Amino acid sequence: MVIVGNYGSGKTEVSINLAVKKKREGLDVRLADLDLVNPYFRTREARKPLANLGIDIVLPAEKYLQADLPILSPAVAGMIRRPSQLTLIDVGGDDVGATVLASLAEAFSKRPYNMLQIINPLRPFTETVSGCMKIRKEIEAASKMTITGLVGNPNLIDETRPGDIISGYDFVESLSKESGLPLKFIAIMAELLPKIDYNRFRCPILPIHRQLVPPWKKAKKFD
Amino acid sequence: MAKVLMKGNEAIAEAAIRAGCLNYFAYPITPQSEVAEYLSRRLQEVGGVFLQGESEVAVSYMILGAASVGERVFTTSSSPGISLMSEAISYMIGDQCPAVFINIMRGGPGLGGILPSQADYLQATKSIGHGDGRMLVLAPASVQEAAEMVMLAFPLAEKYRNPVMILGDGLIGQMMEPVEFPDHLKTEPSNKNDWAVNGMDTRKSNTRNLIRSLYLEPEQLNQNNLILRAKYEQMKKEEIRYEAYNIDAKYKVLIVSYGTMSRVCRTAIDELKDDGLEVGMIRPQTVFPFPEKAVEDAASRKSCKAVISIEMSMGQMVEDVERSVKGKQPVSWYGKCGGEVPTPEEVMAEIKKLAN
Repeated sequence: MVIVGNYGSGKTEVSINLAVKKKREGLDVRLADLDLVNPYFRTREARKPLANLGIDIVLPAEKYLQADLPILSPAVAGMIRRPSQLTLIDVGGDDVGATVLASLAEAFSKRPYNMLQIINPLRPFTETVSGCMKIRKEIEAASKMTITGLVGNPNLIDETRPGDIISGYDFVESLSKESGLPLKFIAIMAELLPKIDYNRFRCPILPIHRQLVPPWKKAKKFD
Repeated sequence: MAKVLMKGNEAIAEAAIRAGCLNYFAYPITPQSEVAEYLSRRLQEVGGVFLQGESEVAVSYMILGAASVGERVFTTSSSPGISLMSEAISYMIGDQCPAVFINIMRGGPGLGGILPSQADYLQATKSIGHGDGRMLVLAPASVQEAAEMVMLAFPLAEKYRNPVMILGDGLIGQMMEPVEFPDHLKTEPSNKNDWAVNGMDTRKSNTRNLIRSLYLEPEQLNQNNLILRAKYEQMKKEEIRYEAYNIDAKYKVLIVSYGTMSRVCRTAIDELKDDGLEVGMIRPQTVFPFPEKAVEDAASRKSCKAVISIEMSMGQMVEDVERSVKGKQPVSWYGKCGGEVPTPEEVMAEIKKLAN
């Protein structure tokens, strides 16, 4: 499963939380940090709690972790060729971040994959259907792959209100109708779940325990 | 306008457009390259000019060119890039040209690293280039404040006909927070016809405007420096900004901290309060001019026994803190500057040492 989307749409939080959820459901999970464009707040920041849960993380070599260089670990092609029960690839933002996927085309060849576009309608450039479709096209062109589904991730981090989730859900629903792409799930911060009537949602929910926090906050524990 | 979720760098870029600045020249460097990324799209939509120069040196002189004809103009860079621009900034101070320079600091010296730092404090506040130049320096602690300070920086630069710097650490550029933009600034640089070299059409008299920093006559050069000095003195009177935190409590220790470092200190202060130890904080929002009196007054409180400057550098702002406290309290320093931000626990441990 390949996670793509525009810059800052929440790909890494979704990838980490999805990895943990699936691991707890009993699947073998491998997660690759393929973010070659972002200098801070990457999956590698959560490598310790993920490793403690038994999730296998593929990263550049330790000594290059803080390097400002686009390093693609050869292990990524290996994990695509020999997939686990769930192989998750967290890709960098926009078409620029997705370009690296084209270099993995040989590894992907003829293998079935899911490529999910994460959408946060409260981010610039993806607040409209046409904005999301434009990014979809750009990512597909850069990666030479096809997006197969959508994930809604409407949030303003700590200031998210239940109404933002509801209107965000309605937005990705309409995007799903217009694009023909299925809405795979919606990501919602765990602490907001009790305040939301999610009976109206026609897709599964991924609870988010925020991991990528600034130094003055603590990452949420996975319950 | 409703809140949106933005990276600091994106919010800075959008705020500049809303401040009526449609000229952005820059050269990419981590951790601020998203500003250029964002504006390369957005400036097209609003009819602005985005130019990537061949180096920071080139960019800084493009800024001088645009500023000298009275255009609102800005750039963003990070520490090594700002060093390269420092010559042109000195010229702009001497020329009395307004512009906004944004430094999203990374660790140094030299190439250093790409992680957050506050180690350009002395460079920004004491002497950005050669000569007697000063800039007004604003230091945001959140994405919202970064956006607001960008919108404030342009009118301030024009008021003083002097470069204004926004001094943010790497985290300010990279972190995401909800942000709400104030309304567009509708103002044009109001005094530009008095000094800009924008042609004779707008002139009231027949005299030409001249922009220069070269004064071969010693009296004239001294005179230019006296004009500049008067502006710095006016900044000290009119532009000091700071936030006081937990200042009404009977605190034993006073922290002085700015930027994202102050957010860590805030968490530490809240947690120490729960443990029964009161700590106050002055957070300079302008680091030049420095809120000397606020720091002095806060340090002079009866309950206060010690003052500490907490910064992501090896001890730079502490010199301003010592100067402000005037020997009334012992002043110490705590910080790191490899890119690792001190944690609330580390700050708490330092405060406890001082309180005992």
